[in-house]
Amino acid sequence: MAFFEQHIHSEPKTFLSKYIFSYDHKVIGKQFLWYGILFLGIGGIMALMIRWTLAFPGQAFPIIGNFLFPETGGVVPPDTYAMLFTMHGTIMIFYAITPILIGAFGNFLIPLQIGARDMVFPLLNMLSFWLAFVSGVILLASLFTPLGAAAGGWTSYPTLSTLIGSPGAGQTLWTLALFILGISSTMGAVNYITTIIVLRAPGMGYFDMPLSVWGLGLTAILNAIFLPVLGAGLLLLIFDRVFGTTFFLAGAAATSGTGDPILFQHVFWIFGHPEVYILILPAWGIVSDLLSFFARKPAFGAKATALAMTSITILSTVVYGHHMYTTQMSPLLTQSFMTLTMTISIPSAIFFANWLGTIWKGSIKFPTPMIFSLGVVFVFGLGGLTGLYLATVTTDLYLHDTYFVVGHFHYTMAASVLLGGYAAVYFWMPKMFGKMLNETLGHIHFWLTFLGLNGVFMGMMIVGYAGMHRRIYNPFVYEFLERLIPMNTFVTYSALLMGVAQFFFVINFVYTIFFKKEKASDNPWEVGTLEWTIPSPAPVYNFKEIPVVKCGPHEFGNPNLTGDRDFQYQTEELV
Amino acid sequence: MNKALEANQIQGKQAVHAVGMTVLLVSFAMLFATLLLGYIVFRLTTDTWPPQGLARIPLTLPTISTLIIGVSSVFFMNFEKAFMTNQLGKMRAFFGLTMGLGLGFMLVQLELWNSMKEMGLWVSGGAYPSLFYSLTWIHAAHIVMALVSLLFLVPRLFEGYDMDRITWVQNVGKFWHFLGLVWFVMYIVMFVY
Repeated sequence: MAFFEQHIHSEPKTFLSKYIFSYDHKVIGKQFLWYGILFLGIGGIMALMIRWTLAFPGQAFPIIGNFLFPETGGVVPPDTYAMLFTMHGTIMIFYAITPILIGAFGNFLIPLQIGARDMVFPLLNMLSFWLAFVSGVILLASLFTPLGAAAGGWTSYPTLSTLIGSPGAGQTLWTLALFILGISSTMGAVNYITTIIVLRAPGMGYFDMPLSVWGLGLTAILNAIFLPVLGAGLLLLIFDRVFGTTFFLAGAAATSGTGDPILFQHVFWIFGHPEVYILILPAWGIVSDLLSFFARKPAFGAKATALAMTSITILSTVVYGHHMYTTQMSPLLTQSFMTLTMTISIPSAIFFANWLGTIWKGSIKFPTPMIFSLGVVFVFGLGGLTGLYLATVTTDLYLHDTYFVVGHFHYTMAASVLLGGYAAVYFWMPKMFGKMLNETLGHIHFWLTFLGLNGVFMGMMIVGYAGMHRRIYNPFVYEFLERLIPMNTFVTYSALLMGVAQFFFVINFVYTIFFKKEKASDNPWEVGTLEWTIPSPAPVYNFKEIPVVKCGPHEFGNPNLTGDRDFQYQTEELV
Repeated sequence: MNKALEANQIQGKQAVHAVGMTVLLVSFAMLFATLLLGYIVFRLTTDTWPPQGLARIPLTLPTISTLIIGVSSVFFMNFEKAFMTNQLGKMRAFFGLTMGLGLGFMLVQLELWNSMKEMGLWVSGGAYPSLFYSLTWIHAAHIVMALVSLLFLVPRLFEGYDMDRITWVQNVGKFWHFLGLVWFVMYIVMFVY
């Protein structure tokens, strides 16, 4: 229930106030979208360089290799390789997925779907974007420092990330950039949570919110609680590097005192495991909605889905130890963490079954957002199942730090979230920019991406199962890994296919926004959530009159519908 | 706007800020909780405390800090009361006292760091001094933030009560009390125990 009515924004007049320092949640959402897509491109090129090195060790990276690495004739040097996978992970997680799913769609969707005129703290929202911008600049600047950017892995475990493991400004800037980004995301989280609590339109209970809002809200809760934990770890790491404290230095590495490198791992994963769910929850929410919208059926067990997501949110806070089975934990602890981790499969199975229940016997349509959503169902199923091997102590001891882990977390965090993000872009494009993306290009984009990513991540699991360690520059100097060259070449070709597929998206996206003349209708997908009751693109003030909510978000084919459509707007009453 | 509607608006706004501030303070609390967790882990896994034959930090200065910050919280409460009843004189007095004690707290902390140096505890001297310096630094940095946010209330000392600024006063107050509470926990966990 709205605690108070927001005033109608006045339309900003100048370029600066309209596009740069805007208070409008929709503009900030778009800013985050462009920011995320830019970093997605940078991180993607880094991924291709990593893959190229693994498939064709010692060969020059095509086209831009000679320009980037002139001293080696275009070959990626070993230290640069370490830098590349570190920055690839960091950029994709914190600067691509987070801005696109949480920054862009969190900002865009929350007020629109709960019937508010804006976020509750617009200034905080703007600051959140510009802090993220500063952080991005610092991170990119670190690439140009004399010893290069951070190279200690995205987890930056000490002592790799201390001055002993990585001297030079790169790692310090990495730590600082992440700390600032943490502040930015926390600001966002405060805003999202408060907005969802206080600005829901009259009549909208929590279970009347679309599941997208549920996903984004739960993500915001995890962000608000656990980003400061990472912040504390990063602060101590900065102190170690800059002021000479010895929190994470031990043994011969420390001149005096008894630091503990493992402490950082604890702090990192107390944050890091919830972070996995921070990334995936918005995608789950969005997919749960889209499956219902395009199967023209109510979301099966919507309440159970929402509660399952909530219990996963809670459980995600007590399982972090499964990242650290190999750190000589007591068996009592590892087994407790194993049991807790396994427990997550129960709520996961509930909402997964609900997804299948939603599309079961639906009159499914297959426009681009829907095929991307179905793609999420497929890849998340695979990713989730392979997680069981890593949650089990006995199998994890063998699989730890192999490419199996890389394949697993890319299926869950990268593939699902990427496809979910694209589904959201294709779906809300008309409301964001007032135009529809091209369907043919969208389908080509999906199938090439989908084939490519399965080739990549399935291949990774196979080489990982065969024992290939992650983070080795040239694994094939080891005799037992030599036979994996063909498989790695296949993975790399799949990655290239996936890379090529993204051009179809970029062309489609840029053409639609800047050149396409044809306008989208107000409700092209024929769904009933609040954002589709207003014109496309959404006006500055969102809702002229604050809507009054009278039914749930997925009323499809309900016998109590009042109109002659197969859906009903949330502002309309059921019989 | 009629009186009832106005009261309604104020109440709504206060509720909104209460929710936002709660989330924010939970975030800050997690930051300090993590730092204290680090402290406790070091403390519990070290055989003798303080380690390496280092000396314990005397309680005098931290106790003075604790008293100062506690009293400053009381002064701020009085400032808030005076603000709600629009008593300019009282507001100025209590604001000055809060601000003064805040600065006083910072001075005592500086003195604490000096005394630690005199004891031979240097930042780079191992985990024990690392912990004491870093945790007090981070807390002090937040105190500086709080002092800056107090400055945002200075216009109130001249213009008096304004219903649009109630939430400002309340939010700054919550942050101030919160930092006092954090210091008290740090005092007990790090200095007394």
